[in-house]
Amino acid sequence: MKVLSLYVENDTFIHKLEPITKLLYALISIVITFLFPSIMVGAVFVAFSLLLAISAKVFKRMLLLLNVVLIVLLSMVIIQGLFYRQNVTPAFKLWGLTFYKEGLLYSLLLIVRVVNMIISFGVLILTTRPSDLVDNLVQKGLSPRFGYVLASVLQIIPQMLSTTSTITDAQRSRGLETEGNLFQRFSAFFALLGPLVLNSLVEARERAMAIEIRGFSVEGKRTFVRQIPETKADRWIKISLYVAFIVAVVWRIILWVM
Amino acid sequence: MGDVSTKISIEHLTYKYPFAKNVSLEDITLSIDAGQSIGIIGRNGAGKSTLCYVLSGLIPRFFHGKITGKVTIDGEDVPTMPVEKLIRKVGLVLQNPFSQISGAKMTVYEEVAFGLENLGIEKDEMHERIDTVLRQFDLYKKKDENPFELSGGQLQRLAIASVLVLKPEILILDEPTSQLDPRGTTEVFETISQLKTLGITILIVEHKFEKLVEYVDKIALLHEGKLLGYDTAEHIFSTSEIETYGVGQPIYTALCKRMGLKKANGYYPVSFGETVALLNGLKGSGMDRRTYNG
Amino acid sequence: MAKNSKLTTAILVLIPVAVGINYAGKLFASALKLPLWLDSIGTMLSAVLAGPIVGAISGAINNIIYGLTTDPVSFVYALTSIGIGVSVGFLAKGKMFNNAFRTLLSGLIVALVATVISVPINVVFWGGQTGNVWGDALFAFLQSKNVGIWVSSFFDEIVVDLVDKVLCVFITFGIFKALPKTLVYTFKGEE
Ligand SMILES: Nc1ncnc2c1ncn2[C@@H]1O[C@H](COP(=O)(O)OP(=O)(O)OP(=O)(O)O)[C@@H](O)[C@H]1O
Ligand SMILES: [Mg+2]
Repeated sequence: MKVLSLYVENDTFIHKLEPITKLLYALISIVITFLFPSIMVGAVFVAFSLLLAISAKVFKRMLLLLNVVLIVLLSMVIIQGLFYRQNVTPAFKLWGLTFYKEGLLYSLLLIVRVVNMIISFGVLILTTRPSDLVDNLVQKGLSPRFGYVLASVLQIIPQMLSTTSTITDAQRSRGLETEGNLFQRFSAFFALLGPLVLNSLVEARERAMAIEIRGFSVEGKRTFVRQIPETKADRWIKISLYVAFIVAVVWRIILWVM
Repeated sequence: MGDVSTKISIEHLTYKYPFAKNVSLEDITLSIDAGQSIGIIGRNGAGKSTLCYVLSGLIPRFFHGKITGKVTIDGEDVPTMPVEKLIRKVGLVLQNPFSQISGAKMTVYEEVAFGLENLGIEKDEMHERIDTVLRQFDLYKKKDENPFELSGGQLQRLAIASVLVLKPEILILDEPTSQLDPRGTTEVFETISQLKTLGITILIVEHKFEKLVEYVDKIALLHEGKLLGYDTAEHIFSTSEIETYGVGQPIYTALCKRMGLKKANGYYPVSFGETVALLNGLKGSGMDRRTYNG
Repeated sequence: MAKNSKLTTAILVLIPVAVGINYAGKLFASALKLPLWLDSIGTMLSAVLAGPIVGAISGAINNIIYGLTTDPVSFVYALTSIGIGVSVGFLAKGKMFNNAFRTLLSGLIVALVATVISVPINVVFWGGQTGNVWGDALFAFLQSKNVGIWVSSFFDEIVVDLVDKVLCVFITFGIFKALPKTLVYTFKGEE
């Protein structure tokens, strides 16, 4: 693993959209599902986000992402179904435990929100080269120094983790206790992390010097070797997203006032 | 003779790192002509890297601390020169090929572009320059690969290419081959000999003396922060004190010292070629060749 | 070579390394089957080295990157990580790590900060749960006893955070004290 990324290379319509467009969709769909305490609204967005995932040919990968939170979602149904504070109407009984309608509906609301969050961000992550997202943000005004941090994180971490296996092996061969009691294992933790931290800080200093020498701190106009184009489709999608967002906020305010 | 001009001038340079007990450079004075190649030698902690950092402006911009004396390039003061200008004059290549990669770029091509983007070089010129250096360093075939997938030698060539694409007039290399295998070392030295023909002024810190002496015009010997010698390789290595500084010497010089073989000019040979020539000369003058063939 | 900006190049390069240390901590902890996360040591170290702002940035980026690459839910807990970075940064400035007792106290404060920030997030996103088995069992128990959701969620979170954060704080300081001074100063934010 050279780059920390879930990007799946392909050539679909979604892949070709500007990264910022996809980011905007994720953010706005999340905000809207949280603005409205409605399972319907959430379900509509989940369905739409899924449609995007399917058309980007990343449906299977998406299931893997969802798998991560599956247990928590299930435990939510159980805990809320049993113990939600506003539980009054019994829905069904299982092994002598009473599940209530209010709690089940509440957990369902939580679930559609979280699932939409994962799928809409998933579409962005699975269909966007991470460095393109960063370049795109920098070209739209994010500080290039900050952009550097985001872009380098994705490569530096796998680099560091590949050295961890070297360090683990080296320490094992010196008789490091990785099995023993809790105290021994804590000392082992120290012995593993200490050298890694020292090494990485020394390397970080060198890297800082190396990029300084290549003009990282020169102020003034920058150019980009990869220009991320904004297509017509991007522009239309962005406009519709802004409109949807404004409509949602206004509607929400009206509901509050009334 | 063409007009040789002084490129780098250092006068009474003294420097101490923050939190350090002792100075790392002490009263260094030396000057380097344009187009020359200079080897810098000295044992661990002698101050070689520190000197490289002063010349490339990292001291005092990156490492603060106390610097006195005068350092100029083309007559301009290095510590106060605007960074944009300094970067176009001096390039620096460090020891560890991995930590020199910016880490922010996903392909070799974009990695080389990093410095150009920072300097705001226009796109057409950028592509042209990148293509040129990638071909020059035999990396063109690798241009779409992730930098971290390259071998050590390729990575070090990439580091040199990424610096040279900014077209510096001076290139400083701080132990560029110490983490490379023999093949990677050869790759880097071949690159350096190419650069010499382009008229670039080169400073190189190197422990592999047999290689070094083939490529440099002069050698600067540092010891505990002081400059103990600045002369041609045969002058530097022929002295008997050289061993006391803990730097070692080319294997050929050591051999000839042991056998008491000097060149006609009174100095010991430093390279393979010189040694062979000397031995052949001896053979011609009637010595029994079997003595030397074992 | 930026003279006036606080975020020097060395500090910017430190941030990815801090996130990497978080990852490595988590990795080692699970490899050694330690019953804790130990995944905020990098954030804390960056805060000790370069101050609260850098701690906050490292924390935020940690969760953004984790969200982008493994688990999108971690985005929202960026706030917690920011809180950890900021509090450690200020505690370090206030010399709250000079001896073992103060360090312990600092650990407790950090755990409390992390909990106070996480609880509302837990309530909004998960109806109060944390996703940790022990914590959630306690949560279910408290809910069944009709304890309020906020209080239940608070206990759910703090049983998990207390030991973890206190240990992270001690480990961070153990490592920091062992680093050479000449290396440490490179990453100091300008005063
Ligand atoms: N960042 C630093 N802070 C304080 N002292 C330093 C720093 N870097 C180097 N030194 C000290 O300065 C002196 C010269 O170090 P320098 O790295 O220049 O030596 P060198 O000749 O390059 O050695 P090596 O062959 O090991 O690379 C040494 O005594 C070293 O301990
Ligand atoms: Mg050195």
